Amino acid sequence: MDEMEKRLVACFSAVLPELGPEEIRRASATSLESWDSVTTVTLLAVVEEEFGITVDDVDPAKFDSFQNILAYLQQAVR
Amino acid sequence: MKLVEALGILEAVKRRNGAPLTCFLATGFNPLHLSAFLAAELGLLFADHKIEIQRGLYGDLVGNVSRLEKADAQVGVVLMEWADLDARLGIRSSAACSPAVCADIIATVRTRALRVQKAIEEATTRMPVVVCFPTLPLPPISFFPGWQAGSLEIELNAIVHTMRSQVSQCAQVRIVSLQRIDLTCALEKRFDIESELLAGFPYRLEYASALANLLAQLTRKPTPKKGLITDLDDTLWRGLVGEVGTEGISWDLDHRSQMHAFYQRMLGALAAEGVLLGIASKNERTFVDSALARKDLALSSTAFFPIEVSWGPKSGAVSRILKTWNIGPDSVVFVDDSPLELAEVKASHPEIECLQFPTNNSAAIYDLALRLRDLFGKSALLEEDSIRAQSIRQSHVGANDYERTSGGRAHFLEHVEAQLNLNFTKMLLDPRALELVNKTNQFNLNGKRYTEVSWRNYFRNPESFLLVTSYTDKYGPLGKIAVIAGRQNGKKLNVDTWVMSCRAFSRRIEYMCLEQLFKKFDIDEIELDYMKTDRNSPLREFLSDVLGGDPWPGCTISRQLLESRSNALREPQEMTNG
Repeated sequence: MDEMEKRLVACFSAVLPELGPEEIRRASATSLESWDSVTTVTLLAVVEEEFGITVDDVDPAKFDSFQNILAYLQQAVR
Repeated sequence: MKLVEALGILEAVKRRNGAPLTCFLATGFNPLHLSAFLAAELGLLFADHKIEIQRGLYGDLVGNVSRLEKADAQVGVVLMEWADLDARLGIRSSAACSPAVCADIIATVRTRALRVQKAIEEATTRMPVVVCFPTLPLPPISFFPGWQAGSLEIELNAIVHTMRSQVSQCAQVRIVSLQRIDLTCALEKRFDIESELLAGFPYRLEYASALANLLAQLTRKPTPKKGLITDLDDTLWRGLVGEVGTEGISWDLDHRSQMHAFYQRMLGALAAEGVLLGIASKNERTFVDSALARKDLALSSTAFFPIEVSWGPKSGAVSRILKTWNIGPDSVVFVDDSPLELAEVKASHPEIECLQFPTNNSAAIYDLALRLRDLFGKSALLEEDSIRAQSIRQSHVGANDYERTSGGRAHFLEHVEAQLNLNFTKMLLDPRALELVNKTNQFNLNGKRYTEVSWRNYFRNPESFLLVTSYTDKYGPLGKIAVIAGRQNGKKLNVDTWVMSCRAFSRRIEYMCLEQLFKKFDIDEIELDYMKTDRNSPLREFLSDVLGGDPWPGCTISRQLLESRSNALREPQEMTNG
């Protein structure tokens, strides 16, 4: 797990504290009942804060799973 | 605080077992992250409580504020932005703009402001309410250029100013200072347009965090510091009086030492508000007396008591001042220009707030003044504040008289012309009674604290009683100095709370209070909800004296026991109300 992934796991852990690290990596809006629109907005805010980025083209599809957000970050931050 | 930190604190707060503290957050917008920040800040402030934030409906500020009155909450927070008073003042609105629309907006805001004001006033009959008026910029919808204040802006601000002024008259309302918000976060760093459009949450995270911190601070009454001990040379004035003489020291524009006059004025204002002022100076007493006698000093030298001047360590002087004031070091601020002196005092009294006077940095004096204002700030000035310093000075005179009097303490007390005023009416909005309960540490039955709401709830029990005692003698009034709260249960009284100001020690007032309880309620015994705390040894010693041994939780004092212990007393003249 690289540094970026670790930091993203920490973000998820703050917003979805009931999940363990492995569950977080598999987490998505469709697989988790507790992941609602507020979760997406909160995740977005926490990720922006953690990585110092501004997500200006908000495409919900990019923020509906851990893996999608990780992929977005890998593109946006590097 | 970062959002991720706030969420972490919330998780920890959820696992607490303490009593719930419920806050109703009434906004028109979606409070989203503000709610998380506020819960986290409250979680830090109320370390023993589980925190719950209740929220209203999106887009219904007036309705949400109206819901406050019936909400099952201990505190209310009302936060409004312009769009909550009229949606056309928000960026989400797609309504057309025109001069005619602007006139209609003013009329709508006026009507809604009145309804919000009325709802806040009604809510304050049940709970304290923290209010924050609009903090975001108005949208550029009027025809004026941005650099000119137009009629829309002026009218809307006038409406809100009127509402703020009216609401501030309510006893239980605390209004967030817009000046402090301006100092904390610049206007351009507050509004998050993306977030407003995406989620209906208008604040940037940094601003939401700062705002939540201010809101949380206002949810509970501050515990202000009680006393300030100041150095003299290069602090109260510029220069070393022992070297340059009385006329050589300065605090004026000519000598570029005006900052010391500003500091003197600040101390004068604090003294007028009831803050105790003392002096700890390494000097010769004659120099100090003559410097303090200068007519152009910006505060009266009589504001200082005691004045400790010696060449010994300042920590010793501070100890003596604390003893005279009879207050703990955690209630005191020490100001000195020397980092060494500050460190020496801090080492001996770690709980004292030590502040460096910025002798060579005029600009920093303003920061010092702001800090002092925060440390000593209070929501209201009480009668007791105005007599505190005088009563300590008079107590000192009394102590000297006692030392000169033969015949012992009882004989001395017989001649001080003591008058005790015992009031049994339930003055629940009397801030002094609750202040005493929440500030007193030494003569405190169990250290139990109350919020305004829990205090009111306690007295909903028809068997409950409240005794507030005031005291005066020939040395001057002490004001309200003791509070007893409890419940009557047949021929027994259960006392749940009993506090007495340290200024009232050694006057046998505690005995007299118990005697009055027996007399008033015609009871056989009093059961005390005693609990040992780190600091209530004076109360413990009193109970040991009465009980003939260490007190225990639920200890009982019978009428006979008290009478046998009180025989040596001479009853002063009394006046009983209620």
